[in-house]
Amino acid sequence: MHDLISDFESVTPDTWLLNEELWKEKLIKLPNWFQIPLINSNASHNLPDGTLVRFRGMIQDMHNPEFYFEEFEVYNTITNEIKNKSGKYRDTAHILEHEKINYTENLKSGQRQTMVVVSIPGFNNWAQDIEDKQNHLKHLEQHPNTSKRLSQAGPKLKRSYDEAEEESDAMEVVDNDGNKEPRTGENENVSANVVSREHLLNFPLPDMPSKSCIVKIYEEREDLKLNDMIEVIGFLSVDPALSGEFQPEKDPLLEPQLETEIESITHNPPPSLVPRLHAVHVKKLEHCNPLVRESVDQGIILKEANLAREHLLKALTELLLGDKLAAEYLICHLIACVYLRQETMNLGQFCLNLSNLPIQKYPDYAKQLYDIIKQFVTKSYYLPLTINNMNTLALLPKKDYDCNRLTSGVLQLSKDTHLILDETKMEQGRLDATGVSNVTALGNLIKTQKVEYDFKYYKMDFNSDVSVLILSEGKSLLPSDYHVPVRPEESSLEIFDAIVEAATYYLKEDVMNIIRAYLTNIKLVKYTINEDIKFVEDDFIEMRSKASPENPFTADDLHRLLVLARLVSLSRGYDSLNKECWELTKNMENERLHRVKTRTASTF
Amino acid sequence: MAMRDYAADKEAFKNFFIDFCQTDEEGHKLFKYSEQLTKVAHREQVAFVVELDDLHEVNEELAEAVCKNTRRYTNMVSDVVYEMLPDYKHKEVVAKDALDVYIEHRIMLEARNHRIPGEMRDPRNRYPPELIRRFEVYFKDLSTSKSVPIREVKAEHIGKLVTVRGIVTRCTDVKPLLVVATYSCSACGAETYQPVRALQFTPPPACTADECRVNKTAGQLHLQTRGSRFQKFQELKIQEHSDQVPVGHIPRQLSVYCRGETTRRAQPGDHVAVTGIFLPLLNAGFRQIVQGLLSDTYLEAHGVTCLNQSDESEMAEALTEEELAELAEEDLYSRMARSLAPEIYGHEDVKKALLLLLVGGVDKRPNGMKIRGNINICLMGDPGVAKSQLLNYIHRLAPRSQYTTGRGSSGVGLTAAVLKDPFTGEMMLEGGALVLADQGVCCIDEFDKMADTDRTAIHEVMEQQTISIAKAGIMTCLNARVSILAAANPAYGRYNPKRTIEQNIQLPAALLSRFDLLWLIQDKPNRDKDLELAKHIAYVHQHCTQPPSRTRALPMRLVRRYVALTRRKHPAVPTALADYIVSSYVELRREARNARDVTFTSARNLLAILRLSTALARLRLSDIVEKEDVSEAIRLVEMSKQSLQHVEENVQRGITSTDRIFAIVRDLAGSNKTVKIADVIERCVDKGFKPDQVDACIEEYENLNVWQVNQVRTKITFM
Repeated sequence: MHDLISDFESVTPDTWLLNEELWKEKLIKLPNWFQIPLINSNASHNLPDGTLVRFRGMIQDMHNPEFYFEEFEVYNTITNEIKNKSGKYRDTAHILEHEKINYTENLKSGQRQTMVVVSIPGFNNWAQDIEDKQNHLKHLEQHPNTSKRLSQAGPKLKRSYDEAEEESDAMEVVDNDGNKEPRTGENENVSANVVSREHLLNFPLPDMPSKSCIVKIYEEREDLKLNDMIEVIGFLSVDPALSGEFQPEKDPLLEPQLETEIESITHNPPPSLVPRLHAVHVKKLEHCNPLVRESVDQGIILKEANLAREHLLKALTELLLGDKLAAEYLICHLIACVYLRQETMNLGQFCLNLSNLPIQKYPDYAKQLYDIIKQFVTKSYYLPLTINNMNTLALLPKKDYDCNRLTSGVLQLSKDTHLILDETKMEQGRLDATGVSNVTALGNLIKTQKVEYDFKYYKMDFNSDVSVLILSEGKSLLPSDYHVPVRPEESSLEIFDAIVEAATYYLKEDVMNIIRAYLTNIKLVKYTINEDIKFVEDDFIEMRSKASPENPFTADDLHRLLVLARLVSLSRGYDSLNKECWELTKNMENERLHRVKTRTASTF
Repeated sequence: MAMRDYAADKEAFKNFFIDFCQTDEEGHKLFKYSEQLTKVAHREQVAFVVELDDLHEVNEELAEAVCKNTRRYTNMVSDVVYEMLPDYKHKEVVAKDALDVYIEHRIMLEARNHRIPGEMRDPRNRYPPELIRRFEVYFKDLSTSKSVPIREVKAEHIGKLVTVRGIVTRCTDVKPLLVVATYSCSACGAETYQPVRALQFTPPPACTADECRVNKTAGQLHLQTRGSRFQKFQELKIQEHSDQVPVGHIPRQLSVYCRGETTRRAQPGDHVAVTGIFLPLLNAGFRQIVQGLLSDTYLEAHGVTCLNQSDESEMAEALTEEELAELAEEDLYSRMARSLAPEIYGHEDVKKALLLLLVGGVDKRPNGMKIRGNINICLMGDPGVAKSQLLNYIHRLAPRSQYTTGRGSSGVGLTAAVLKDPFTGEMMLEGGALVLADQGVCCIDEFDKMADTDRTAIHEVMEQQTISIAKAGIMTCLNARVSILAAANPAYGRYNPKRTIEQNIQLPAALLSRFDLLWLIQDKPNRDKDLELAKHIAYVHQHCTQPPSRTRALPMRLVRRYVALTRRKHPAVPTALADYIVSSYVELRREARNARDVTFTSARNLLAILRLSTALARLRLSDIVEKEDVSEAIRLVEMSKQSLQHVEENVQRGITSTDRIFAIVRDLAGSNKTVKIADVIERCVDKGFKPDQVDACIEEYENLNVWQVNQVRTKITFM
């Protein structure tokens, strides 16, 4: 088994191509891929050009397909030899000084897809730590910056490599000055080629460390969609000559500019910053929780569910100041995901609005709550809804035709990401046009689980599956599926700081890990509703007949009840709907609606 | 594959250009290509367009060969035309610019050099054909060939003629592109020509003319801009239409190189169809060393046409056999109505009305007056009765539509705004939602919360179908031939049936009466319906699909295309039906006077009935409105009125359908003692009753001995 892994350490694109089928088979058979360096956890500058590496991330953008030379001839002008070479799994031809490519004959061209993959946005620290621990390869750091890489590049290119390093250092200085905007327009021609690191990385979420890769995929993969999480195994390509900053000066009179300069720079960032990856295998990921094993029996998950739920309920009840109902709803929220999409309706979306938070007493309550939640969930992002944020942030991804790429926005998130909106931070003020469109975008995301990407000439809806939790003082200005006013207990209200401390003490690493695995596992469980659900039908008719114009009960309410019932059952470890859970669900909804009503009554 | 006999092809082209002729309607023979050749010879025309349709007619095989290897044939045709031109030159052409003079001189020079027969000129100093030809050859794709989606343009299309559609996202300035570089030698003065095929070129290092070569002077070469040939050049980037992109993918782009006559045809944002040759582009110079293994691709344009967004070809495609069979299966009208937003349960009459809105009535222009054919519908109802979903669905279904909310639209708003261009300082008009939706549907949610300025403008839109603007020195009238689909929430949270509509919606009667149909969607508990609804919802949750209904919903695309098809019909109302319509209208008016009416029955209702009936006739793809159309239209109007009346109240008073039918029969009888049953049924159906209800009523009262029915059951006689 060991030699298998060492095989993968030394494989090069050429040896791979000699027997592609065999290598692929070997790769699939590998019990785990930990020994193939994961560049999320291992710095790419420690790896030589052409090694087999892994990368996990989210597809952020797709470029036009590239035409490359699958087979071509190289003619050596000194020895008059003709060699056949392949351009598959590599960017540069690796030709020697007196070799020439025959561009006219015996050329076979192929097509490959190019995708920009960024490390998964909102990936929480605990998960990153575990992943680093699993995947960090110590031996790589012992021989950094291998000579292999430089020997392959010509003498001229060696210099430019050094330049690349310098350039990227220089860029960071630019960042510190706060100059994050890419320079466009005329001045770009004068002092060329300075664009910020942020611009090149194009990461959806600001202030989060991230990596990105340009992945070239050789098979037609229609199933890979934008915002999918993927794991790529492929050959690393970090030849510094790939950087778009080293474009020769062109004479604009004689050569019309085909790509604008800013476009070619954006599309060819320095490989030290954005490595290229030539994929030999692409796997779609259902989740990215490092604690969840691939093949776990559904029965075991369900059996263990209750234990984890107890822990979680206890912690959340305390944190929500003794409000058990709110804690129940929060658990349902944490395990919710969209499971049916139709033309005008989605089932499974669970936007929770917790209102009536004690921010008079604890102004940072929402943030404190989030700090605990992010310890549980694999991916989350905290967005304070301040007027300033709304007016300045780019929530929606937008196609930038100058750079010809999709400029990311905060709402470009992979599925099962938890978005926590803190409305307690909102103050009175004026929303400008961006602010209004941002608020509308959030509203649309909540209502339809779709994000409208702006392609300037038209807009396109992309499906998303993001659970939104709104923390607010009164009822939120954004729509929500379930609105729960929190009822804090007086006694807990006094000692909240102590509770937080106790909770962190109670939630030790092993308890945490149980909860973390539980939250992801439950989402993957298959849930069914039996044919015999007469009790649901009867209840519906009864509730309808009791409904009055003031307390209507509509079809939407039944949908909502059934979605909640599903989560209530799942969270308790049942994979089908039973009467008991149905009754529990009804009581939860009744109590919640009662709270909402009495609350509105009190404000009048 | 055997090599094509290109010499034969050349000959074939020559004959084709000479012989091809079309006969127009008046019987004149039109030698299309001969005329083009004459024009080109006289420098009146630059582009020489070969329509593959014509070629296909004469020589099918050659046309296919051209499609497959277009570049080669472009050069061939260019040669053929050049050879033929002197024959078509009937008069001396005055030189138009310096290049013409140059060409003339060069030809004369060449003629002089050829005085010694058999003398071979140095091939390098021979004039490249591009230098002395002032025409450009373009092929026009077969009209039968389908456009290829940008995503599908792949390696196998290289070298072939393809037609793609897309939206222009970027276009560069038109720049001169060097086609033939002319150099003069500093030592011997000889001219050297270098044809440039790519976008870059490397100048030759030294003079290669005989004199220099013999003397070994290696004179320096200088580029002569005046002697060189330049061509207009523009690069376009086109992007896929949003409907061609698979779900979850990013739209792809394609570069298009336009030269000469194909430049300046489109601007960013235009929808275009581009015919061209798909070619790889080799990178030269430094980039070649760096990337080495990549080749960009581009489309060399042979024709660029801007498309009108509304005449999408997809719509024009004829329905296939299977689709026709599927449509013909059963009652198309109700089936199509049910296919609108199939997830929303029930509301069949509302959906029928929305279907008619999509189809639209026929515009009429008697004596210059304009009567709109577009149908306006307003949906009212309690919150949470799927109004917005219906609107949203229609918005997506309609080929041209705008979705906006009454208060959400800012800036340009619903109508139009005058804006100042930041660069030129010119004032320009920017259309709002209503203008953008011209000849389509404008869905306005939260109609009641509309801004006051828009509300005044919408009066005009809804009847005259125009928007008049008098702002900032611009006075104009924009077309807004839209159907308005509005949704409004009741003013007091829930609809109060005891008040009038104006009070409930808080919109003026003048505006409300402009709607052809006003629907109040209410959600009242009803045991049987609730059970059905509960079963429906439970099914969705159990199986994660829609329950298989008796009638399968038609796919959205099919509905869209069928609606597009119906819009081509212009049915007329036969005079025979006029009486029937008039009497129905009079009946409506009379009832409105008698009953406590919350709606407005005015002449607008008559027009509404006409519009709805023409829409129904269109739906049948018929050219004549029939009586059934009219009675269905009246039924819809009646149902929409009923939805506004307080049905519950009637039920409490114990008025059943039987009682109401009896009242109708009594009215119909008037002073007479006998009534025809056919009349009764007709009238009752108009009022929204079903025939079996009528039968039940007749039987019931017959048993009560209120009236007698004759033996053949055609007449009722009151006792």
